[in-house]
Amino acid sequence: MEICTHCDEQVEVAVFDDSDEASAGYPFCCQGCLTVYKVLQSNGFGEYYQIKSAGGILRKRAPIQLSRSHFTYLDDSSFLLEYTELNSNNQRLISFYLEGIHCLACLWLIEKLPEIAPDVLEAKLDMENSIVSLTLKAEGKLSQAAIALDRLGYRPHPLKKNQKAEELKKREERLQLLRIGVAAAGASNIMLYAVSIYGGAEGSYAAIFNLLTVLFAIPVLTFSAWPFYRTAWLSLRNKEMSIDVPISLALLCGGVMGVYGVVMGIHENYFDSLTALVFLLLLSRYFLKHIQDKGLAAQDLHFFYHNDSVQKSVDGAHECFTSIHPQFLEVGDVIQLNVEDFVPIDGVILRGDLRINMALLSGESEAKKCSVGDAVFAGTQVVQGTALVRVDKAAQDTRLGKILKSVEDGWSQKAPIVKVTQKISSYFLWTVCLLAVSLFIKLSLEGSLSHALEQMITLLIVTCPCALALATPLTFTRALGLAARHGIVVRNDAVIEKLSQVEKVYFDKTGTLTVGRPSVVSCEMLNKSWLPIHDVILSLEKNSKHPMAHALCEYAIAHKAKTLDVEDFEEISGRGVAGTIDGHRYSIHSYQIYEGSKVLASFSVCDSLREDAARVVASLSERGIQVGVISGDKASFAHDVAEQAGIPLTSVFSEVSPEEKNRMMQASQHVLMVGDGANDAMALTSADVGIAVCGSADISLRAADVYLLNPGLSSISELHMLSIETMRIIRRNLVLSLSYNAISVMAVFSGLITPLVAAIIMPLSSLTVLVSTLWGTKKQRSLWKS
Amino acid sequence: MEVIAILIPLALLLGLFFIGAFIWVTHKGQYDDLETPKLRMLLDEKPKRGKVHEQE
Repeated sequence: MEICTHCDEQVEVAVFDDSDEASAGYPFCCQGCLTVYKVLQSNGFGEYYQIKSAGGILRKRAPIQLSRSHFTYLDDSSFLLEYTELNSNNQRLISFYLEGIHCLACLWLIEKLPEIAPDVLEAKLDMENSIVSLTLKAEGKLSQAAIALDRLGYRPHPLKKNQKAEELKKREERLQLLRIGVAAAGASNIMLYAVSIYGGAEGSYAAIFNLLTVLFAIPVLTFSAWPFYRTAWLSLRNKEMSIDVPISLALLCGGVMGVYGVVMGIHENYFDSLTALVFLLLLSRYFLKHIQDKGLAAQDLHFFYHNDSVQKSVDGAHECFTSIHPQFLEVGDVIQLNVEDFVPIDGVILRGDLRINMALLSGESEAKKCSVGDAVFAGTQVVQGTALVRVDKAAQDTRLGKILKSVEDGWSQKAPIVKVTQKISSYFLWTVCLLAVSLFIKLSLEGSLSHALEQMITLLIVTCPCALALATPLTFTRALGLAARHGIVVRNDAVIEKLSQVEKVYFDKTGTLTVGRPSVVSCEMLNKSWLPIHDVILSLEKNSKHPMAHALCEYAIAHKAKTLDVEDFEEISGRGVAGTIDGHRYSIHSYQIYEGSKVLASFSVCDSLREDAARVVASLSERGIQVGVISGDKASFAHDVAEQAGIPLTSVFSEVSPEEKNRMMQASQHVLMVGDGANDAMALTSADVGIAVCGSADISLRAADVYLLNPGLSSISELHMLSIETMRIIRRNLVLSLSYNAISVMAVFSGLITPLVAAIIMPLSSLTVLVSTLWGTKKQRSLWKS
Repeated sequence: MEVIAILIPLALLLGLFFIGAFIWVTHKGQYDDLETPKLRMLLDEKPKRGKVHEQE
């Protein structure tokens, strides 16, 4: 096991490059990381690695995938108009979302961008959201900045300016902080005077101190506590229950009681407990929102599934082309598609032949041959050939666009679940009200009406479910934080709760259970060759762009192959490659390697199962969860993969269209869907929980509740365990806080309650659940430790 | 105990001053990004070569 020098990923077989002095002896996980390493060294940024090792890693990043994009569309005037703005100094401003920001050294490197890209005047990185804000010269080239970022290993995605929404969000966040600050100031000042009163201040001192507590409590109970009242009011209006209802009730009762005390000359109130409670509650909710926003940020992005320019024909003979962003294509335009291009539109081939990878759109693992007159669809990728394509449908009208739309509609229709705390607070409120009324009746029969009223209000104050309301967001914050640290982005707390109830799991096949691209699974040596066979493979195949060639190169590199000089290289499209090395003629075709006419070796290539797939399936089944496969691919392929992964063939569904997948998910309950492609997107939305694996199409990221940043599936099993343990902690906290409430009720009924007793019980209960939350459970602590 | 008559208003003034300061810096955007600045300060700024020569 070695650790990649660049991305810190653990790798079984490391890539080495000893030809270069700078990189000799350092292990890398892939060519991408190696290339970036060399770029950094040659630009004099070798310090990056010292800073990284000294500063520590904040979050995991995925191995680098170089895009080799030219980003020319960034310089289009229509793009500039929509995505950038000029400031008062006539400088151009733009923001990019960057993939792969993960440590202190990233910050250092990104903010050095002006040194590599001279058009960039300033680069400022927001680590938390992985967003870099660039200031460029007005006539500066954006593509230059984007290429520089890409070469450093951070793939940039331009962000559309939405000034209004940003401003609103910022104002909301600042207001939230102000509420917390005011609550903190109020609570701590009140504590000072409350302690003096408890300590025995008398006469005019007590009166003044009491008045001061009321003065400090007013802003806390109005301004700071406003969100509680608002939520309580909203939920009551919708005839729902939320934990904010009993909290608001307690706060209001406390306020009435305090003001009444000042009027009546009673120098005691519950403001010390209540204001501290408001502060702690606001704080815990702030933490939860903060950590959820991190996950959400990826959803708000205007990520484009085709983030690169296309060549649009500008003359009748289709010989002159101009580069344009796919967003600006119109029906009837003719574009040219080359190898590795993502098809941005639905259209028809006018000239040329293509081999197209349909995996993202339909789940088929085999590339499809398309020739003149055949339709091509947005979201697929060209793996071989060049063709002219007429645009029939663009943007939202494409099949992919329609899926995207249904995903977005699906989100708005997704019914929110009734959370555990919501259910409890409903019972809780009725019980408390019932108790309060019976206490009132009991005391008013015994004696004075005012005393009965006083005690009833006291009961409503001290039974405030503060511990519960405090512990739940903290438990979720901890769970989400733990997940994020291990490369799992969870959309919100409800996902954790739903995940803990999952009974069925469906995996997509291509790209989810399998790696999603061909790799060499076996290579049988038949005859001895003149030159080392791996060197021959690498030297020949590195010149080809065929996906099979890529698989063979990876295989050869894993066996530490070197490149040799090739003469007379030729590639016969769709057949294979050949070339002369050191006077011998070598050729690779039909899954065999030849030296002259002698067969040297035969190999087999297929889309192999992910290493950890079988382990995840086994651990999920062990927990009593039904595991199945749901694929758009042919039955034989689906069955093969299912068998290898240990999934019973009875729960394998093949040749399922995206729409059918969606219906199957809607029909089942407590179901988890794991997928990657656009064909899974609708199903990811309609399943109770949708997980998008690393390397998913952008559209599935938008559809999913959970996104895995690390390659592989093993995090799913851990996340499921985490969700179960998190719910266990929440239930334990529930029991703890309810027992404290029971104690306070008994204290009220036996007439023992005073503000001092409340000031002891209420923080004590909060402290207990806090410790319980941080302590966690044994299983939760053992997660990710092995 | 009479000293309290001065101390309490003083404490209140001090407290109000800090609340005011807090509101002010929040509106100024001091707390908008809580993660990057704490990391940025760890990075040493290398003096530009030209300037070093001037000082010598």
